[in-house]
Amino acid sequence: MTWYGYPRPDGSYGTRNYVLIYPTGIVANTIYHFVEGTQGVVIASTPHGPSTDQAMFHRVSTGLALNPNVASVIIDCTGLYWIQSPSSPETVADEIAKSGKRVELIGLGHDDTMTVIGKGIKLAREMVYEASKLRRMPVDDSQLTIGVKCGSSDATSGIAGNPVIGYVYDKLVKTGGTAMFGEPTEVIGAEHLLIKRAINKQVAEALLSVVRSNENRAKATGEDIRGQNPSLVNIKAGLSSIEEKSLGALYKSGSMPIQGVLKYAERPKSKGLYFIDNWAARTSIFLGYAAAGAQIVLFQLGGGAYHMDGPLYNPATVKIAPLIWCSANPKTRQFAGWNLDFSSASVIDGKERIEDAGERLYTYLLEVASGTMTRTETLKYVDTTELYAKTGPF
Amino acid sequence: MNRADALIMKSHDNVATVIRDIEVGDNVLATLGEETFIVQATEKIPFGFKIAIRSIKKGESIIKYGEVIGKANTIINAGTCVHIHNLDGVRGRGDIEKRRSIS
Repeated sequence: MTWYGYPRPDGSYGTRNYVLIYPTGIVANTIYHFVEGTQGVVIASTPHGPSTDQAMFHRVSTGLALNPNVASVIIDCTGLYWIQSPSSPETVADEIAKSGKRVELIGLGHDDTMTVIGKGIKLAREMVYEASKLRRMPVDDSQLTIGVKCGSSDATSGIAGNPVIGYVYDKLVKTGGTAMFGEPTEVIGAEHLLIKRAINKQVAEALLSVVRSNENRAKATGEDIRGQNPSLVNIKAGLSSIEEKSLGALYKSGSMPIQGVLKYAERPKSKGLYFIDNWAARTSIFLGYAAAGAQIVLFQLGGGAYHMDGPLYNPATVKIAPLIWCSANPKTRQFAGWNLDFSSASVIDGKERIEDAGERLYTYLLEVASGTMTRTETLKYVDTTELYAKTGPF
Repeated sequence: MNRADALIMKSHDNVATVIRDIEVGDNVLATLGEETFIVQATEKIPFGFKIAIRSIKKGESIIKYGEVIGKANTIINAGTCVHIHNLDGVRGRGDIEKRRSIS
């Protein structure tokens, strides 16, 4: 099938056309505020606080900028971020520039903060204007990379919501696209099914190792994982164990072979389906997918335990990779109303098959890829994001 | 299409997921594709929770999606709600390992 994307010099295609300003802080935030009217600038939260997982910092710094949805990049060199980062802003800029993308550094000299902001605003306006001259071009599905998370899961997630996403995953992978999934804690109890789909023994072993490591971290607490995962939200909606949650969660990955296991924010090495060793938190997972190159992300929402009638969670990075909110719960459909991008509650109602709902979602995915706004994209509001560092500050 | 009250995912499952709020004494129509089963609810079971579609012995595996989702920590009669009070998770049990290491 065909969608319409912004051509990039490295041969990729953007579903959006943003000027990225980062890391987050007073400089990036203020530029974003002033140049906002153009919808051309996005803010990206980046880490605060040291971590020994420095390679991850570098993957995020370069990965976000290399995302096809980013037209050009402004890097703010002031502040603590670059002291904690293993790579200098110049090194990161050089790596981004190899893709042919325009990248500018601000705050390198001795200007005070307000002067840097003023210069940044002028630069950002000019870059947004330049980006606006680009036109979308027809492109096929193989140029699409997506990521997924399921959250506030309930019984409808495993029965209808995740299988519908799985249909979309299978269809995209079969047509040559790239799809990522992860949340290793939510593989516990279902790993015997997942490893059957690994393309070779090494990938199967890597999958098992990631799942074991997560289960061991959970066990080391000396507590039952139940309550933490499944969370109280899942339990109040009827999910009874991590095994039950995992078996339902796995459906969202479809049935295609798994090409490899990647680290958080690591870019897939080829087309196809990849498993990511990430963290299930909604504050973190989408940042990782965006840094790995996802042009669109999906959230499969259960929501059975509480009423969801307000604007849904809107992390900053989903402005880079737009987030499609999906749910199969009829009550969530009713509460969330227009806020929900896609409902497959018709499957629970017995009025639609998983394949038909999957086709509907696939069509919608290509519409969003071509420029239709997601419901959360209509908001300026953003929630904070956080990086997934396995080794935290002490 | 279906008029099911509960969905059975795979043929070996001993629980079904109810897709409407169930009252005590309701005859619950559980479906597995074209096959249908009726089980009488012994208690209220809210939307999205599980009902035992046959009696399950203490210590027996509880099966959904054709896979083990936990073990019964008591006798579970057909028509009963199956949840954290009578289903023990088997995986990620740091509490059990801790007790073992102390004793």
